[in-house]
Amino acid sequence: MNLLLLIPLLPLVGFLINGIGFKHIPKSLVGVIGSVGPVVAFILSIYAFGAFRAGNNAPVIIQLFDWITVGTLNISFSFQIDQLSLLMLLVVTGVGSLIHIYSIGYMSHDAGFGKFFAFLNLFLFFMLLLVMGSNYVIMFIGWEGVGLCSYLLIGFWNKVTNYNNAARKAFIMNRIGDLGFLLGIFLIIQTFGTVEYLPVFEKAVGMSVGDSAIAAITLLLFVGAMGKSAQIPLYTWLPDAMAGPTPVSALIHAATMVTAGIYMVVRSNVLYALAPDTLEIVAIIGLATALMAASIGLFQNDIKKVLAYSTVSQLGYMFMALGVAAYSSAMFHVITHAFFKALLFLGAGSVIHAMSDEQDIRNMGGLRKKLPITFLTFLIATIAISGIPPFAGFFSKDEILAHVYEHNKLMWALGVLGSIMTSFYMFRLLFLTFFGDFRGTHEQAHHLHESPISMTLPLMVLAVLSVVGGFMNVPHVLGGHSALATFMDPLFANAQRANPALFEHGHLDHSTEYLLMGVSVGAALLAMGAAYVLFISKKNVPAADGQESGLQKVIYNKYYVDEFYEAIFVNPMRKLSDALYSFGEFIVDGLVKGAGGLVKLSSGQLRQLQTGETGFYVFAMVVGITALLLWNFGAIIFK
Amino acid sequence: MVYDILYFNKHHTSYTIHHTPYTTHHTPHTPYIIHQDFKTMADKLFYFLSFLALLSAMMVVTAKNPIHSVLYLILTFFCLSGHYVLLNAQFVAVVNIIVYAGAIMVLFLFVIMFLNLKQDDEEAKTNLTKIAATIVGGTLGVILVAVFRKAQLGTYNPYSFNSQVGMVENLGEVLYNDYLLPFELASVLFLIAMVGAVMLAKREVGDRHF
Amino acid sequence: MLSIILLSIFGIVVLFLGFQKSKNILLPATLLCIAIAFAANFVHWNDAPGLYFKEMLFENRLTMSFSAIVLLSAFLVVALTRGFADDEAAQPAEYYAIILFSLVGAIMMIGFDNLIMLFLGVEILSVSMYVLTGSDKRNLRSNEAALKYFLMGAFATGIMLFGIALLYGATGSFNLTDIRGYVGTNSFSISTLLYVGLLLVLIGMLFKVSAAPFHFWTPDVYDGAPTVFTAFMSTIVKTAGFAAIYRLLSGSFEGIYNFWWFTLAAITILTLVVGNITAVYQQSFKRMMAYSSISHAGYLLLSLTAMTAQTPDAIVFYSLAYSLATVSAFGVLMAVAREKSVQSHENAEDFEAFNGLGKRNPLLAFVLTVSMLSLAGIPLTAGFWGKFFIFGTIVERGNLIWMLIVAILMSAVGIYYYFKVIIATYMKDGETGALRVPPFYRIVLIVSTTLTLLFGLIPKLLS
Repeated sequence: MNLLLLIPLLPLVGFLINGIGFKHIPKSLVGVIGSVGPVVAFILSIYAFGAFRAGNNAPVIIQLFDWITVGTLNISFSFQIDQLSLLMLLVVTGVGSLIHIYSIGYMSHDAGFGKFFAFLNLFLFFMLLLVMGSNYVIMFIGWEGVGLCSYLLIGFWNKVTNYNNAARKAFIMNRIGDLGFLLGIFLIIQTFGTVEYLPVFEKAVGMSVGDSAIAAITLLLFVGAMGKSAQIPLYTWLPDAMAGPTPVSALIHAATMVTAGIYMVVRSNVLYALAPDTLEIVAIIGLATALMAASIGLFQNDIKKVLAYSTVSQLGYMFMALGVAAYSSAMFHVITHAFFKALLFLGAGSVIHAMSDEQDIRNMGGLRKKLPITFLTFLIATIAISGIPPFAGFFSKDEILAHVYEHNKLMWALGVLGSIMTSFYMFRLLFLTFFGDFRGTHEQAHHLHESPISMTLPLMVLAVLSVVGGFMNVPHVLGGHSALATFMDPLFANAQRANPALFEHGHLDHSTEYLLMGVSVGAALLAMGAAYVLFISKKNVPAADGQESGLQKVIYNKYYVDEFYEAIFVNPMRKLSDALYSFGEFIVDGLVKGAGGLVKLSSGQLRQLQTGETGFYVFAMVVGITALLLWNFGAIIFK
Repeated sequence: MVYDILYFNKHHTSYTIHHTPYTTHHTPHTPYIIHQDFKTMADKLFYFLSFLALLSAMMVVTAKNPIHSVLYLILTFFCLSGHYVLLNAQFVAVVNIIVYAGAIMVLFLFVIMFLNLKQDDEEAKTNLTKIAATIVGGTLGVILVAVFRKAQLGTYNPYSFNSQVGMVENLGEVLYNDYLLPFELASVLFLIAMVGAVMLAKREVGDRHF
Repeated sequence: MLSIILLSIFGIVVLFLGFQKSKNILLPATLLCIAIAFAANFVHWNDAPGLYFKEMLFENRLTMSFSAIVLLSAFLVVALTRGFADDEAAQPAEYYAIILFSLVGAIMMIGFDNLIMLFLGVEILSVSMYVLTGSDKRNLRSNEAALKYFLMGAFATGIMLFGIALLYGATGSFNLTDIRGYVGTNSFSISTLLYVGLLLVLIGMLFKVSAAPFHFWTPDVYDGAPTVFTAFMSTIVKTAGFAAIYRLLSGSFEGIYNFWWFTLAAITILTLVVGNITAVYQQSFKRMMAYSSISHAGYLLLSLTAMTAQTPDAIVFYSLAYSLATVSAFGVLMAVAREKSVQSHENAEDFEAFNGLGKRNPLLAFVLTVSMLSLAGIPLTAGFWGKFFIFGTIVERGNLIWMLIVAILMSAVGIYYYFKVIIATYMKDGETGALRVPPFYRIVLIVSTTLTLLFGLIPKLLS
C-alpha cells in the first residue's frame, strides 16, 4: 500500500521541480513534467481501486507518523482509503490529468507557463491531501491549501486589478467559511477527544439523535462547506473567480475544489444523520442556491459566467441531496458533474481560445462549423447537464429528484423548476455560441480555428465519460443494479445504525418513478424547445448591457447581492477601519505633520513638539488605566 | 466578578498596633503601651512631608523656568529622604541626599544652564488637552485614594522591630547575600546606560543607513 | 542561569574588542557568544527545575525553551547586521555589546523568581532598546522614535514599579513563591493592595508587549528605528515579555484567576481588533508589521487569558513561529530597502518596494511569502500550528468560545494585509533587474524559512 503515498507525492514533486526551476526548464518539458505526476497518480488510483475491491472493502488506514500530541489529544498524519476517498481520488486525478494535458495547449502562449503548472500541481497535492486524510485536521490543511492555490490561480493574470480583487474576495469569503470549519473541528475535539474519522464516528453512533453538540458541530462544518462549495450566502466569490484561466475554472471551480464541501458532509454522514435539523437547513439552502443561481444564469452573457452560475446551481442540487440523506446520490452527481462541467469549461476555453479571448456570447454565433469537435463535445455536455437520457446528468439528477420527492413534494417541484431553467440557459448558451450567424469582428472571424489535439483530446475523453458516466449507477427501475450506491453502502452503515429512522421511507413504486422521470425529461425538453424558438427561430440576441428592464434587470445584476454585501458588511468594516485609522494616525500624525515644518526649523522646538505628541499617547494610556481600575474596583469605591 | 472575592476589613485603621498573642520570644507581662506623643508626632511629620513632597512635585511639572523645576525636584528629594528616615531607612535617606539631591541635580543644573533653555518656548499643548489630562489624571488619583482608603494594610509588630535594620551593616549583608545577583546585574543596566549615552552623544562624521 | 553570567561577560569582552582597528571580527565574535550562551542555556536541562542565587532565578524546561527562542532570534537578527561593518561611522562594538547585554535582561525576565529581577530585567531590556532605537543618529525619525519610546517606557516602568511596591505592601515579599503562598492562605482576606498592585504590574508589562490601549508607541517606534533593531524589538522583547507575564500570572496569581481574567480578556479583544483593523490601511510595510505585531500580542494574550495546562506550550510554539517569520520578513525588507535607499530616500519601506520581487529575486520572494503565510496562519507553516495551539487552549477553557470567534474573524482580516504583500511580490510589476543578496544573508533567510516550514510540517519536533 505504500504506493498510495506516491499519489499525493507525485504532484508535489512536480510542483517543486516546476516551481523552483521554472526559469531554467524548457517550455516543452514543463508541460510534460507537470502532467506526468497527475497521470501516474491516476494510474495508481485505479490500481488502488482494484486492490481495494479485491480486498474486504474495509477502510485502510496508512499511518505515516504521529504529528502532534497535545495533552490527551493525538493527531497523526495518516491517510484513509475507503470507498469515498477512492471515488474522489479517481475523479480528482482523472479529471485533473485531462485538464493538465489540456493546459499544455491552452496556456502555451502564456509567459507564466511554468508558474501555472507549478500552482496546478500544488493544487492537486492539497486536493489529494484533503480527500485522503484520515482526520479532520488533515482535511482542514488540504482545505486551506486548495483555497490558497485557488487564490493564486484566480489572480494568475494579475495585470488586471479586478482579477486581484476577485482572488482576494474568493480567499476572504472562504476564510469566513473556514471560521466555521475550524470551530467545528475544535468542537469535535471537545466532544470526542479525537479528530480521527473512525473513532469519532464510532463514538457518535452511541449518541442520541438531535444531540445539541452534534447539531452545533454539523452546522459549523456546514458553514465551512458553504464557503468552499459556494452556497448562499457565501456564493458570490465563485462567479468572480472566473477571472482565472479557463483550465483553472474547470479543475478548481467546477470539478474538484468546490465539491470539497459535499465530500466533507458525506464524510461526516454519521454526524449529519444525528442532526436532522441541520439536514433540513442543508436541504433548504441547497434548494435556494440551486434556484437562485439558475435564475441568474438565465440572463448572463459571459460564457464563463453562465457556466459559473450553473456550477453554483448544480452544487445546490448536491446539497439538496445531502439534505434528504441521499448521500450516494450526491456523490454520484459530484462525479457526473465533474465530467460534464469540466467538459463545458474546457469547451468554453476552446471557444475563447479560438475567439482570441472573447467571452461575450453576444459576439459569437455560428461557431459549429469552425470548431466541429468543440461543438460536438459541448453539445454532449449540454445534453448531459440538462438531464436528457441516456446521458450522465439524467441519471444523477433524476436520482436526486426522486429522493427529494420522497422527502418533500414541494421541494421536488421547485427542483424540477430549477432543472427547467438549467436546460434553458444551457441551450441558450449553446445556440447563441454555435448556431446562427457569426457576430464577432472581422479579425476574430479570420482567426477562428479548431484547437490543437492536446486540447481536443481531453474534450473527447470527457465527452465519452459524459455519455456513459451515468451507467455506473443505473437504478433498479431501469434494469440496473445501482452499482455505485451498492459500492458506497458500507460508508453509511454507521449512520444507519445511529439514526435508522432517517433512512426508512417507503420505496417509490415503479410507476411513480417512471412518472417522475417523464416529468423532468419532458420539462428539460420543453425548455430546450423554448430556447430553440427564441434563439434559433427568432434569432434573438440579448440586449447590450444597461438595456434590460424590470425583473430581468434585477436578475441580470445578480439580485444585487454583491452590492448588498458591500453596503452591509464591507462598508461598515471600512468605516470602522477608517475611524481607527484616523484616531491612531490622522490625529496623532496630523500633529506631527502639521508641526513637521517647525520640526526642521529648530531642534530646540523639536523637543517640545515631541512631548506634546507623546503626551497624547500617555493620555490614552492613563485613560486605559483609569478605565481598568474603575472597572475592577468600582464596586469598592461606590459601595 | 470582583465582588465575590474581595474582602474588606471594616474595623481596621492604619497605625493601630496590635497586641499579637503569638509572638513567643519575649512576651511581656504587661500590655505594651503605645507612646501616644510619638505616634502623633510621627503622624504629623508624615503628613507634612507628604504634603510638601506632592506640592513640590507638582511645581516641578508646572514651573515655567527649568531651573525652578530642578530646584523643586531637589526639594522633593529632601522630602523623600525625610520619609526614608520615618521608615527607619537611614542609610537610604543619606544616600538619597548625597547622590540625587547633591550630585545628580547639580549635573542637571549644569546641563540646563549650558543649553541655556529659554523660558518662552511655545506651548504645544492646547487648553483642551490640559483640561482633559487634568480630569483624567485627577480621576485616576481619586480612584487610587478611594481604593487604598478601604484597603487592608499590613500589620506592624513592635517586638520584632529592629532599629538597626536600615543601617549600612544590615543593608550590606542583605545586598551581598540575598540580593547578590540583582545587585551585580544592576551594574549591567548602568553599563548599558553609559555606553548608550556615550554612543548617542559622540560626535561623528558621515551618514548611515541600515 | 549560566547564560546570564556568560552574556554579561561577553558583552564586556565585545566592548573591548571594539578597540581593535579591524571591525571584521566583531560579528563572528558576537555570533559565537550567542551560540555559546545558547549551548550554556541547556546545561541544566536534566536537573531542572531549579532555583538559583537565593531564589532569585528560576529555571525549568519552559524558561529554557523561552531563552532558547530569544537566543535563536537574537542569533538570526545579529547575523543580519552585516551592514555595520561597511560603514566607517558605525560603532559596531557598542551595538553588539548592547545587544548582548539586552539578552541578559530578556533572560532575567523569562526566569525571574523575585520581582526585583523582573524589574531589573525589564529595565535592562528597555534601556537597550531605547538606545538602539535612536542609534541612527542622523535620522530625525529615529531620534524622535527613541525619545518617544523612552518617555513612554519610563512612564510604564513607573507604573510597574508602583505595582511592585503595592504587591510588597500587601504580601511583605518580592518572592513569587511567597506571594503565591499569601494568595493561597489568605484567599478570603486578600488585601486590595494586592489587586491594585497586580493590575499595575500587568499594565506595565502589557505596555512592553504593546497590547492595546498601551500600544500607541509601537508603530512610531517600529517605524523610526533602524529595521534591524525593529526586528530585534518585535521578536525578543515580545517573547521575553510574554514569558514574564506568564511567569507572573502562573507563578503567583493562579489562585485569583477570577479576578484578572476578564481584564485580560478585554485587553485581548481590544488588542486583536485594533491591531488587525488598523493594519489594513497601512502603506508602509514597517508600519504594517508594527500593527501586525500588536495583533500577534493579542493572540498570545488569548492563550494567557485561557491559562490552562497547555498554555505554556502554546505560547512557546507561537513565539517561535512568530519570531522566525518576523525575522525573515524584516530580513527581506532590509535587503530590498537597502538597495532602494541607495537610489532614493522616498518610500523605501512601502509595499511598493516589493513590487516585482518575484521576478527580481525568487528566493527573497519565496522567503517573504512563507513568512507572510506563517504570520497569517496558513497550514503547513509554523504559524498555523501556533494559532491552532493557541485556539486549542481557549477551547480547553470552555467558557471563552466568544473570544475564539473574535480571534478567528480577526485572523481573517489579517489575511487581507498579509496577502497584500504577496500580491505586491508576485503580481505587480516593479523595477526589473536582478536583486543581489550577499550569501551570508541568504543563509540566514533560508534557515529561518526552513525552520518555519519544518515546524509547519512536523510541529512535534518541538516537544
